[in-house]
Amino acid sequence: MVSPVLLVAVPLGLAFSVPLVGLASKRGAAFVPVVACLFNLIVSIRLLPRVLDEPIVTSIGGFTPPFCINLFAGPVGVLLSTLIALTGFAVSLYALAYIKSGPTVRYHTIYLILLVGATGVVLTGDVFNLFVFFEILCISSYALVAYFGDRAGLESAVKYLVQGSLGSALLLIGIGLLYGVFGSLNMADIAAKMGSVDRMSVFVPMALIIGGLGVEAAIFPLNAWLPDAHSSAPSSISAILSGIAIEVGLYAVVRMVFTVFGASSMLLFLVFLGLLTLLVGEMCAFAQTNIKRMLAYSSIGQIGLIVFALAMATSGSVSGGLFQLVSHTLSKALLFLAAGYMIYRSGSTEISSLEGMGKRMPMTSLAFTVGAFSLVGLPPFAGFPSKFLIVRAALSEGETLLTVLIGLVLLATVIEGAYFFRVVQAIYFKKGGEDTTRREAPAVALVSMFVFVVLILVIGTYPELVTGALSSGASELLGRANYIGSVLG
Amino acid sequence: MSVELLLAVAFGGSLLTYVLGKVSPKLRNGFAVLNALALVVMIGFFYGQSFEKTLPLSFLGINLALRMNMLSWFFAITILGVGVLSVLYSIEYMRGRERLDYYYATMLFINASMLGTVVAGDLISFFIFWEMMSWSTYLLISLRGGRAIFAGIKYIIMSIVGSLAMLMAIVSLYATFGTLDITELAQHLQAASMGYVMFILVMFSMAFVIINAFWPFHTWLPDAHAEAVSPFSSVLSAVLVRKGLYGLYLLMYVMLGFRVLERLSVGVVSFTGVLSWIGAVTIVFAAFTALLQNDSKRILAWSTVGQGGYMILGLSVATSLGMAGGTFHILNHCIYIALLFFVAGAIEYRTGGVRDLNSLGGLIKRMPVAFVGGLVGIAGLIGLPLTNGFVSKWLIYKSLILEGRPFLALAAFLGTWGTVLYGYKFIHNIFLGQLPDEYKDVKKVPFTMALPIVVLTVAVLFFGVLPGIPLAVVDAVGTNLGFKSLDVNVWGIASETGTLNTVNLLAALLVAGCIVWFVFKSRGKSVSVEQHDTYAAGAAVPSGRYQYSVGFYNPLERMVVPCVRDFADAFFLKLADGTRVVCRGVRRMYTGYLGDYVMYIALFVALLIFVQLVWSPW
Repeated sequence: MVSPVLLVAVPLGLAFSVPLVGLASKRGAAFVPVVACLFNLIVSIRLLPRVLDEPIVTSIGGFTPPFCINLFAGPVGVLLSTLIALTGFAVSLYALAYIKSGPTVRYHTIYLILLVGATGVVLTGDVFNLFVFFEILCISSYALVAYFGDRAGLESAVKYLVQGSLGSALLLIGIGLLYGVFGSLNMADIAAKMGSVDRMSVFVPMALIIGGLGVEAAIFPLNAWLPDAHSSAPSSISAILSGIAIEVGLYAVVRMVFTVFGASSMLLFLVFLGLLTLLVGEMCAFAQTNIKRMLAYSSIGQIGLIVFALAMATSGSVSGGLFQLVSHTLSKALLFLAAGYMIYRSGSTEISSLEGMGKRMPMTSLAFTVGAFSLVGLPPFAGFPSKFLIVRAALSEGETLLTVLIGLVLLATVIEGAYFFRVVQAIYFKKGGEDTTRREAPAVALVSMFVFVVLILVIGTYPELVTGALSSGASELLGRANYIGSVLG
Repeated sequence: MSVELLLAVAFGGSLLTYVLGKVSPKLRNGFAVLNALALVVMIGFFYGQSFEKTLPLSFLGINLALRMNMLSWFFAITILGVGVLSVLYSIEYMRGRERLDYYYATMLFINASMLGTVVAGDLISFFIFWEMMSWSTYLLISLRGGRAIFAGIKYIIMSIVGSLAMLMAIVSLYATFGTLDITELAQHLQAASMGYVMFILVMFSMAFVIINAFWPFHTWLPDAHAEAVSPFSSVLSAVLVRKGLYGLYLLMYVMLGFRVLERLSVGVVSFTGVLSWIGAVTIVFAAFTALLQNDSKRILAWSTVGQGGYMILGLSVATSLGMAGGTFHILNHCIYIALLFFVAGAIEYRTGGVRDLNSLGGLIKRMPVAFVGGLVGIAGLIGLPLTNGFVSKWLIYKSLILEGRPFLALAAFLGTWGTVLYGYKFIHNIFLGQLPDEYKDVKKVPFTMALPIVVLTVAVLFFGVLPGIPLAVVDAVGTNLGFKSLDVNVWGIASETGTLNTVNLLAALLVAGCIVWFVFKSRGKSVSVEQHDTYAAGAAVPSGRYQYSVGFYNPLERMVVPCVRDFADAFFLKLADGTRVVCRGVRRMYTGYLGDYVMYIALFVALLIFVQLVWSPW
């Protein structure tokens, strides 16, 4: 019998063994994250069918909830932990080749700790525990953004640190206030008591928590750290930050709003906030000439779309939003990984320096193109079914407001298409410089990219593969009473 | 034989072509041609069949279906026919260029996805094939780099705007009726409210009107068609843009039907009326813009825009005769425009990429096959009797006059006059006049390029003399859509107000031709002079100074220029510029200054609490 605790405990233990392995062999240290992620992937996939029937609630320390810290492994949690493990696995393969210089052993340690933090956030059922895992995630990402130790990296890491810490402080104050009101830190317990207190005393902690978590979730206007941090981090870390970290932050926001606060009156505000985030992100991305900044801004836009879909809060829209989350993770991680080696090859992050890459690195360019098409939402790639579900959810409400809003969402898609198609053209059809020799990314990096390519194509042509898990995820997020019931019994 | 097999061969062939290209280029070329040919043979077996089948697959819980009937078959045969000829033509035309594996694979992929759109039995598979067609077309338009980059991005953005509008309509249909099967939707839509039908029509039409390049959404087409490699320009002009018309057929006559369409009017303004006037504007505007072009492929591209207007006139008249004219014109246009692009491509191929009409001339003796192809193609385009274009235009004029739409008919005539002028310019500036010295040694068209030209030339004439053969198919398409059957004979068509008999025309032409031949024969031999003699009447003139084809229509152009201005193109370009400026402005919000960023966070939280304190909305 596998327990969800293993998903946190085993990688954490392995993370601290990385320096020891590193003493014996620096090369060997790089393989520890691969093993840890593979382990998590297997455990998560084995857990998935079970949690689709019934969520697993694991109490720690022998007490029953609400007196202990508990893990709540529901469909959403395990789905996200699968996604984290999968992305972590592919990116750690990539890092085998990509992370060559600098304090590599420390990189692999912190990388694994980051993934532990992310997995912890999506599995925990306790507000303070959430804060702890959240800090683990954030602090390790500050460190990794500055990995190269160059000026840009340090500057953006410090900016990220200041804004992230402000967010964490707001979050902590909010949690403190909640504890003051309810005398409990258990999510289900707080949720159950939510109706018994007056609204204003809950609203202030809620505003602080949304603001605090919103920084990491990159919701407009709390996301100013993101373009700097994602663009100056090593590309493998950009992939994890864009593919995992902000999604996990978003999960935390949604869990708080949907389950803990049950704040259905906030949802329309969040719909607008999501749309605003989407439009701002896509417009900024359109104005970029730097490939990594462009991808970073596009992540903001995609997060906005996910918020938009989740905040509509119908079972269709939430599963559409979760689908969009999955397809964004796969596509954006792929884009960053592919861009990473193209930048490595050309020595510049300007889009114009990617010209002629189609000849110099055909496989990498192909991977980039698949990621770009998927993100724009073209069939037969994974982005299409998710966009389709979101549009369907918005239109099946039959409200004029939502019809207009989804029109704006699709307009943002046009802008997104415009800048991605521009890059694809630069890669394939513009004449590059003198150097036209063909030298691909290393085999192991290509393997990690093609993991994503295959997944994007498979999910894109056969979306039923994931829709089952997504719709039970949606009913978990919307079924507040069930959540309370399954934890408190 | 099943439709699934057809699609599998089409898509599989595309992938396999790419793989074979890594083995041997010869093998790849041969396979690509065979694959395209096999598809034509296969589609032949489906003639006259009509069925719909639900696939054992589904997409997000929506059942996928394929259908085959005369409408699908008609469009499929045009796609696959032009497909095989352009792949054959490519072998020589593309020789020695880079990225040929990619080229052939994408070409076949586009053919396969176009085939998919016409055999799709439900709207979701229609949309998926449609989008696959869009992005693969974008990839192939951009192939040449340089200005093709701009053409590609222009195309894909306009196409994506259209297809997203279509996506909204499709999803809305699904949300309302719970099905996307075309036959079932057709039944449901009969009872839908007018407002809703209008919404669906407008959203779908966005996609179809853009891809079929109706004014004012034509702006992507001239760039894309001129900048693409010539074999692909043929595909674009002959069949790809007509996917928009297929969509309109599907939407207007399969899904909605006349009864619903007739109800769609406010006072004198009706949907079909607006559509027909868009068609008329498109015809006249495009014809006179084409006149101003000095690029051989751009003339043809504008003619594609204009001829689309004739089809829409036929379609929106909505009588048996009009539909037959519109549908037949799709086929005819497909044949002669593919032919003309092949001719322009052959000129380009032999002269080292020259498309400028001011610097060509006199190639008639050097490239006779191309000349005959070009002449017949232009004759078809103008609609001279005994070419295929004549019959379809005759039907369209006839139906317009019968239905009492004289102004639309006038627009159509006006467009034809423009067509005569630019058609002659095309022929004259390339083949007639004096041969510039640099083209003295131009060689004939190579065999694999000449073959498609000859085949299509014969087709233009054959369908012009014996229009009854294709008209039988066209009539079957019409009856499939619910129109009355026409009285079609091998030599033409009979209608209550007059009969078209092309055999009589042929006989008359032969007699007149014989008379002219005898007259010329009886008048002694003509004296042949050096080509520059003609102008200076025997006096020595430096050769190369006088070139008839330079500034050919100058006075006419001076007259036309002030009247035709492409406002739509200017507007879209300005819109793109404006978007860029706005985007840069929005980006400034991220100042790079940490203090501002911290302020954003603090303000956000403070604002939330403030709003709740004052108005308590949450």
